[in-house]
Amino acid sequence: MGKYADDPAWSDLTPLPTDEGGSHPLAQIAYSADYEETMSYLRALMAANEFSPRALDLTEDLIDMNPAHYTVWLYRAQCLFALNSDLHEELEWLNETALAHQKNYQIWHHRNLVVDKLGECGGETEFVARMFEKDAKNYHVWSYRQWLVKRFDLWEAGELEFTERMLGEDVRNNSAWNHRWFVVNGRAGAAGVGDPEVRAREVGFAEEAIGKVAQNQSPWNYLRGIMRRCGKPLAELKGIAEQYASLDRPDAVRSSFALDLLADILAEEEDGKEQAGRALDLLASRYDPIRKNYWAYRKDQLGLGELKQAVADVA
Amino acid sequence: MAIMKSEDIMGEPHFDKARHIKYWTRCLKTLLPHQYTSNESNRMYLAYFIVSALDLLGALDSVLIEGERQGYIDWIYRCQHPDGGFRMWPGTDFGAKANRENAHWDPANIPATYFALATLLILKDDFKRVNRRLTLTWLPQMQRPDGSFGETLVSGRVEGGQDPRFGYCATGIRYILRATTEGDLSIDGQVVKDVDLDAFVRCAYDGGIADAPFHEPHAGYTFCSLGALAFVDRLNTRGLPTEQPPTAPCHPQSVLSWLVYRQTELADPDAGIDSEFVAAQDTRDTRKKEDGVTSEAQADGTVPAHQDPECSAGVTIFDLLVDGAGMNGRINKVADTCYGFWAGASLHIMQQPNLYHHEAVRRYLLGKTQHLVLGGYGKFPGDLPDLLHSYLGLAALSLAGHDQVKEIDGGMCLSKEARSRLPAIWESFADSR
Repeated sequence: MGKYADDPAWSDLTPLPTDEGGSHPLAQIAYSADYEETMSYLRALMAANEFSPRALDLTEDLIDMNPAHYTVWLYRAQCLFALNSDLHEELEWLNETALAHQKNYQIWHHRNLVVDKLGECGGETEFVARMFEKDAKNYHVWSYRQWLVKRFDLWEAGELEFTERMLGEDVRNNSAWNHRWFVVNGRAGAAGVGDPEVRAREVGFAEEAIGKVAQNQSPWNYLRGIMRRCGKPLAELKGIAEQYASLDRPDAVRSSFALDLLADILAEEEDGKEQAGRALDLLASRYDPIRKNYWAYRKDQLGLGELKQAVADVA
Repeated sequence: MAIMKSEDIMGEPHFDKARHIKYWTRCLKTLLPHQYTSNESNRMYLAYFIVSALDLLGALDSVLIEGERQGYIDWIYRCQHPDGGFRMWPGTDFGAKANRENAHWDPANIPATYFALATLLILKDDFKRVNRRLTLTWLPQMQRPDGSFGETLVSGRVEGGQDPRFGYCATGIRYILRATTEGDLSIDGQVVKDVDLDAFVRCAYDGGIADAPFHEPHAGYTFCSLGALAFVDRLNTRGLPTEQPPTAPCHPQSVLSWLVYRQTELADPDAGIDSEFVAAQDTRDTRKKEDGVTSEAQADGTVPAHQDPECSAGVTIFDLLVDGAGMNGRINKVADTCYGFWAGASLHIMQQPNLYHHEAVRRYLLGKTQHLVLGGYGKFPGDLPDLLHSYLGLAALSLAGHDQVKEIDGGMCLSKEARSRLPAIWESFADSR
């Protein structure tokens, strides 16, 4: 009949079946008899507010089949705390579950609760690194790592080095750039790039990354972010922009992001608008044509006319 | 060598409308495969995809037979919560065993409520059975002191994380049930308070928008934030934001820039991004010399990002027009069908619908992720279709303009036609102030 129905340890509980309430349910799913049974027993447990070892076991079962159930995690958490369960064991179980269901956000929220309650984070950054091996850009995992840093004061415990390692593996990993920004600037009361030494270091780091791969938006955004946070004008980036994009050598542009930045810088210069327009023309016709409508919009914003073709495109 | 003009390239890939209708009709009238078990607690969301997709395809009326429309409406109402709002599915209801002690385990759910109301709108329900007063009373309780909205209220605690998805759905519920009027309402002789709009607006961000400060900007969260701001009439689309009342975002130009950069020719998730640049490296040997003068780039060994279209092995506008260019969700990620909607709609909400390349998006959707046998769309080229990507692919196609699909409203993600029924529904509420 069923795993729970056949088990004498569960004979005292009457399962509660689902009531679809009519003959035209929407998005009904052909779930297995196992799932149906587990759900029926879960409902019975929750209806009775039972927080017991068998309830804990059942939630594990259910979560494996439907980890997105929005009350089962809360119910499991309540069981754990009511039973004073071993939270280290819970983390072990969570590790496996996270690896099996990588895109699920409830798992990470639950992990938050457990680790917060434990009050210690030993092994967490290692586990996070393991998750990154599967997907170096997993959004939930990066968010969780930020929480770890804040919660356990890990600002100077190797986080900067961690971002360097991740970027060493993939200099285009924007999540790693974002984490670096957070580590440098996210601490309450920290000067971050407001401190000239830190700024110089971070600018250098971004420029080095650009040197490796110029056609990579992440470090260019990072540089812009630094200027904005320090209240400095983009003009301070003119030097590096011109290393990779020069209007004097339109055939040798090495980065469309440099050209975009140059357009912004020139637009702010007295008498720079026309040159900004030339940069935008180059982007539209050669270096980033997919965004041609946007470059035209930018020209329009500057009060300039139609985009000019920088290279003739007829035979 | 002549470069072909875009008109000379073969016409746009075919949108196999009949096949999509078949896909969605199957989703409506038969059980979803067991692989959707892990999505059971999202059923209201799936229901909305199915009904709205058929509506966008202009097939809803023809597909529904006698009694079905009312039957589906009845199922949605079956999910309505006695204390206001809706459940995602009947599965949390304890039925005869429901009592005050276990009530917190069967909460109303914010996204479920929005999708339930949206689906009722599409099905042309008159909203007379919606517990409007109770739902609008519940709504402010779902808002935290910091202004953000949660997912459920369990034992007096707002659960579910701070993310903008809940802000979008909460403001969407508010919009459907009370339009944009601010402040207290009198419903059935009782005062119903509004949510705290000022607090809500202050937790939004600029540039690309994330789900929390310092988190990575993300097109999905950007859509939710902009859509939510639009629902409460607090969106700043150009220039500086206002203080009284507060509007957001602070730097619309940064948001627009971030959004247009979501469009990318990278479509294959298995080819590392490096493959684009491996191709560029190869041109070192085949690169033309301009007038006998080598470009500076040659001297130091690096290669121009996008070469003259005639000789580059990198991506040219020709390639883009043939292969298309979809949208990604974050910088340096590969295109994914659904971001064609999240990013595209964001630009529509910001009143700049033409900043991105519509034709390239259509070519990506129709040529790369449309499933030629099953209908619907997959996430990546070659993937089997799933409900979310199939719906959002259709939505993205509509936004990019296609005469075989009804016009979609970017802010609400349903047909403009369905949205246009709201004013009459608001009239029927007839509140006193």
